[in-house]
Amino acid sequence: MASSEQNPLVPEMGTITKIIDETPDVKTFHVTTPNGKPFTPKPGQLAMLSLVPVGEAMFSITWQGDDYLEFSIKRVGVMTDALHEVEVGAAVGVRGPYGNSFPVDIMKGKDIVFIGGGIGLAPLRSLINHCVANRDDFGKLEVLYGSRSPADLVFKYDLFDNWPKVKDMDVYVTVDRGDDDWKGKVGFVPAYLEELKPSPEGKIAVTCGPPVMIKYVLQSLEKLGFSDEQVITTLEMRMKCGVGKCGRCNIGSKYICLDGPVFSLAELKKLPPEW
Amino acid sequence: MKAVSKEKLPALLEELAKEGTLYVPSSSGDMSRFVPWKSDIQIDLDHNTTMSLKGILFPQTEVLYDYKFGEENTVEPPPPGSEKIIVFGVRPCDVQAIRCLDEVFLTRTYVDSYYKEKRERLIIISLGCTVAEDTCFCKDMGVNPVEAEGADMVLFDLDGEYGFEEKTDKGKEIAKKIASQLSETSKKKPEAPSFSLQVNSKGIVEKLQKMFERPIWEEVSQKCIGCNTCAYLCPTCHCFDINSKNTEAMKGYKYRTWDACLGKDYALMAGGHDVRPSKVERIRNRYLHKLLFFQERYGMFLCTGCGRCLRECPAGMNIAGFINQLEGVTVDG
Repeated sequence: MASSEQNPLVPEMGTITKIIDETPDVKTFHVTTPNGKPFTPKPGQLAMLSLVPVGEAMFSITWQGDDYLEFSIKRVGVMTDALHEVEVGAAVGVRGPYGNSFPVDIMKGKDIVFIGGGIGLAPLRSLINHCVANRDDFGKLEVLYGSRSPADLVFKYDLFDNWPKVKDMDVYVTVDRGDDDWKGKVGFVPAYLEELKPSPEGKIAVTCGPPVMIKYVLQSLEKLGFSDEQVITTLEMRMKCGVGKCGRCNIGSKYICLDGPVFSLAELKKLPPEW
Repeated sequence: MKAVSKEKLPALLEELAKEGTLYVPSSSGDMSRFVPWKSDIQIDLDHNTTMSLKGILFPQTEVLYDYKFGEENTVEPPPPGSEKIIVFGVRPCDVQAIRCLDEVFLTRTYVDSYYKEKRERLIIISLGCTVAEDTCFCKDMGVNPVEAEGADMVLFDLDGEYGFEEKTDKGKEIAKKIASQLSETSKKKPEAPSFSLQVNSKGIVEKLQKMFERPIWEEVSQKCIGCNTCAYLCPTCHCFDINSKNTEAMKGYKYRTWDACLGKDYALMAGGHDVRPSKVERIRNRYLHKLLFFQERYGMFLCTGCGRCLRECPAGMNIAGFINQLEGVTVDG
């Protein structure tokens, strides 16, 4: 975490070193600085990226390499439109890391089921890759992921290639609507979850996706017997400062940038139902 | 107590102005605010200012850094100032507001560098109130209308003269500088003024904790036109937006501006999701931030009872009236 004596609103200047096309509207960017990786985030943390002359926005850090941070970004607004137009070598500002992180210590030794929808797999990926990199610290790993269509599936290389090869790790993929080539599952994530029926015994569920998906996934997990402490999610709010000052991202008395973005369902239920 | 006669105040201010940038309350048309002191300035110590001193510590527009992209990419925050900032005649409600802003900008993991460097240079000379206006309710929000806890020095209006009491080391230092202007008075500190507006804030935190989903929010938000006048005049509202301005193709500056929670796009996310899509949710968030959330996070109200928002709201929104309305609300347990 940045020292309190540093100016937390000033970015480090970095460069985009690699761009991966994930889907028609999602790209993955590698960002580095002249001094290497700007910082070493924990799984689930956030960073503020800025692009001249467009603006600055908060993104979850999808993963990291030895000398870069990785961000998978969906094109949804002014800043992300602009990011999707840049080429390798473009200058970006980066500041962070912000927020808490996934509670990997209390997840140790447990089975973990990841439930993602759409671009919601991006924030989960930092945790999934952390579990894969520290494979022996965790029990069985399961990823349940869905998107609107086969073309909209992000991280196909992980879903179909890397993750299924990992010891004791299963990946379940579904799409809302298939196409002529799609041989896999068709259906919504919550329905697939109820069909797969993961047992809550010794398990933690981590979910992220569109608000409507999260709502039904939480209901399904409850039906399956998961307690509120066994369910973890990560929230998104509009942010400007990232350090709990600008007032924008509150849910009740919590700031998502600082106290979040990761919450257990038990913690969320103590907050006003605005998330 | 040390004191200065009111006729001798200009000479004392002239002395204070030698110590740094001196701000004094002054009116221009219908507006009053703190402005840098000049010998010919008309000082208005009869009423609290329309604009609080918030903008001195947290300017309405403030450059965060200059940036330049090219062969070398650089960001350069502005250099910190060095002069003392002395604000004269700050009312106790607005001193309390600075204590709120201190919590926001100086605590909870991150320190806001821009606020901090000005705050360290700030010396607050408060003026206790002997008259409460009909929109004042500071005493009911836990503020002492006479003593101004948090000020470096407090002035008392003693009828014909101002009594002085230094409260901090900074205040003592300033008192030394103006010692030759002061004489001893036998007069006593004035009594607290009487308030025509009575607000019952007792127990509202516990009550509001159980009132998130209530029809009252529909009712109280109806009049609001979302103009944000309340937030801009509020001495404690601290929300800000960050934007950039390019002065050349790859050169420009990043700046922050005051922002306010009643605007339509305040919480709107890219992609269209908005957790507070209508004024019902926005007013609820505003009032709860002032009266509940800030209490939960920092242990104080984010409302000091200065009364600006009820005095100036073009639509008649009234947070004091809202607090009193809570008396009639019952919650379980």
